[in-house]
Amino acid sequence: MTRSRQRRPRRPRGGATRVAPALAALFLLAVALGGCGSGARQVRLMYAGSLIVPFERLATAFEEQNPGVDVVTESHGSIQVLRHVTELNDRVDVVVSADEQLIPPLMYERDDPATGRPWASWYCSFATNRVVLAVSPRSPLADELTPHTWYRRLAAGDVRFGLADPRFDAAGYRALMVLQLAEREYDEPLLLEDTLVGRFTTPITVEHEKGVDVIEVPEILETSAGSNIVLRGASIQLVALLESGDLDCAFEYESVARQHGLKYVRLPASVDLGHERLRDRYASVRVKLDFRRFASVRPEFTGDVIRYALTIPANAPDAELARRFVAFLLGPEGRRILAADHQPLLRPPEPDDPAAVPEEVRRACAGAG
Amino acid sequence: MSGRRISPFWALCVAAGILVVVFVAMPAASMLAGAGAGLLGEALRQDDVRRSLVLTVSAALITTVIGFVAGVPLAYLLARKEFPGKRAVEGLIDVPIVFPHTAAGIALLTVYGRQGIAGRLLAPLGLEFTETVAGIVLAMLFVSLPFLVDGSREAFALVDERYEHVARTLGSSRFGAFARVTFPQAWRGVLAGALLMWGRGISEFGAVVILAYNPKVISVLTFERFEGFGLRAAQPPAVLIVLVAFLVFVLVRALSAPRRRRSGTEPP
Repeated sequence: MTRSRQRRPRRPRGGATRVAPALAALFLLAVALGGCGSGARQVRLMYAGSLIVPFERLATAFEEQNPGVDVVTESHGSIQVLRHVTELNDRVDVVVSADEQLIPPLMYERDDPATGRPWASWYCSFATNRVVLAVSPRSPLADELTPHTWYRRLAAGDVRFGLADPRFDAAGYRALMVLQLAEREYDEPLLLEDTLVGRFTTPITVEHEKGVDVIEVPEILETSAGSNIVLRGASIQLVALLESGDLDCAFEYESVARQHGLKYVRLPASVDLGHERLRDRYASVRVKLDFRRFASVRPEFTGDVIRYALTIPANAPDAELARRFVAFLLGPEGRRILAADHQPLLRPPEPDDPAAVPEEVRRACAGAG
Repeated sequence: MSGRRISPFWALCVAAGILVVVFVAMPAASMLAGAGAGLLGEALRQDDVRRSLVLTVSAALITTVIGFVAGVPLAYLLARKEFPGKRAVEGLIDVPIVFPHTAAGIALLTVYGRQGIAGRLLAPLGLEFTETVAGIVLAMLFVSLPFLVDGSREAFALVDERYEHVARTLGSSRFGAFARVTFPQAWRGVLAGALLMWGRGISEFGAVVILAYNPKVISVLTFERFEGFGLRAAQPPAVLIVLVAFLVFVLVRALSAPRRRRSGTEPP
C-alpha cells in the first residue's frame, strides 16, 4: 500500500541510528500493552446493541469492584450475538439477548460439537423495553410525527425512516410486528403493506393464518433504489443517522432513544410490545424468516412482550467469573446502573428453569424482587 | 555477499524476508486454494453476489474515472511546480491513507449527508449520498484518490522536464507538449496508479458501509454474510473479491515492471 510513498525523495534524517531506538521503544510498548491484557482475569460479555450504554458502565463498575479483572465487551444485533457463540466459535462468558425467545432455538436445541452438549441450558430474563419511533432532531418533519399521524406518514413514503434488519436483530422483527399491530390499533388494514411495498427488491409479505398475521421476510433483504427505508444490521446503528439528520425517524427501543436524548413518539400500549398484560394481543403477529440457503435458525418469532435475557454458555472460558458478573448485574448495583440508563427492569428477574440456573444467579434473582 | 561465506547481516535479512513472505502468502494462498471451481461457480450463480460484483467493479471504475480527470492535473502540477503550501497539499492528499476508514465515512457523512453542507447543496441536483451508488463512489473516491495522485506525480517527476522545453521551443503548445511528450512517457505510471485506485475502491469497506449499506458492494455483502449467515455463506463473495483484487494486482505489476527498467534510459 505504501510502496509508492517510499520512493518519494526524502530529506536524509540520520538513518538507522535514529530509527533503531525508536523501533526498539515501539516493540517494548507493544509487549507492555500485550502484557496488560494477558495478566488479568478476563470476563467476555457479548450483548444486544441496545444495551451498549448501560453495559459500558456495568463493565467499568465491575472492574472497579474486582481489581485485576478485565471486562471485554462486544455488541451486535441479538441474533448475531448468539451466533457468535454457536457458529463463529467465539468463546464468551456471558451472552445477553434482547429477546428471550431466541435462546432456546439457538442454544438449547443445538450442541457444541466440541462437547456434544447444548450451548446453554438456562436463561434468566431481567429487563424489558418499549418500541418507540425515535425522531431526528434535525428532521424538517420532526413536528409532523405524532402519536396520531406517524403511521400515515410512514405509509405515505415521504419520510426517510430507519429499520434494523429483521434477519439479524430483534429490534428489526419487532418493528415489523409494531407495524402489523398498528394495523389493528388504527384500523388501517393495509398499513404494513403500504409502508413496505416497493421499498425492497424482494417484498416483505403478510399471510393470515388462523387469526395470526404472519409477516414473511425474504432471505435477501435489500432496499430498492430510491427507497425511503434505510436498513442497518442493528437498531443501534441507526442512532448516528438520526443524529446526523440522514434519517427522519427510526424504530428504536425507548431506553436507547432516552440514552441518546432523542425525541420520540410513544406508541400505544397495544402496539409497543412493552406491556405484560397485553401479551395475548402481541401474539396475534408472527415474523417468519425465509432462510432457505443458509438455514441455521428456526426462523419464526411470535409477537410477545419484550424481554431481555442472559445466559452463560456451557463453554464459557471463565464460568466462575461469569456467574459473579451475572450476580452483580442482577444485584442492587447492577440494577441501579441499568435503571439510571432508562432500561426498564423485570421485578423480579425470571429464570426460565430455576432448577437449571446456577446457585449464585438464582440467589441474585431472589434478592432482586 | 563476499565469497562463499554468508555474512550474518544478509542471513538476518533473508530470514526476516522469509517470515514476511510466508506471513503474506499464507492467507492469500488459503483463500485462492479455497476458491475451487465449485465455490466460484456457486458465487456466480447467486443473484445477490453477481449484482454486488457488477456494482462494486463499476462503482470503482466510475470512481477511478473521476479520480483521473481531477487527480492527474493535480499530480502534474505537484510534479512540476513549486508553490507556497505545496508540501501541505501533498500531505493533505495522503491524509485518507492514514484515516481509519470508518472515520472517513463519518467525516463524509457530516459533509455530504442530507444535512451536511455539500449534501444540502447537491440535493436539488438529485445527488444524494446515503444509500445510493453516488455515496459508494464518494466513499471510494475519498479513500483511493491518493494512490492515483501519488502514482501519477511520481511518473511525471521521472519525465525530464527538458524534453518538454525542447518540444515547446519546437513550437508545441503546453497541451501539445504534455500530450505528445510527457504523457506518452508517464502513462504506465499513471495507469498503474489508476489501477491501484480502482483496486482500492473495489476492496473498500469501512467508509462505504457508513454511507451506503445498500446497495451492497461486495465487501459489505461479504461482511453481512459472515455476520448473518456464517463462514460458509461468506466464502463465495469473499473468494470472488480476492480473485478480482488479485487480477488488479497482476495488472499493476505488469505495468510497473517495464517502467522501472526503462526509467534511466533515454526516451525515443
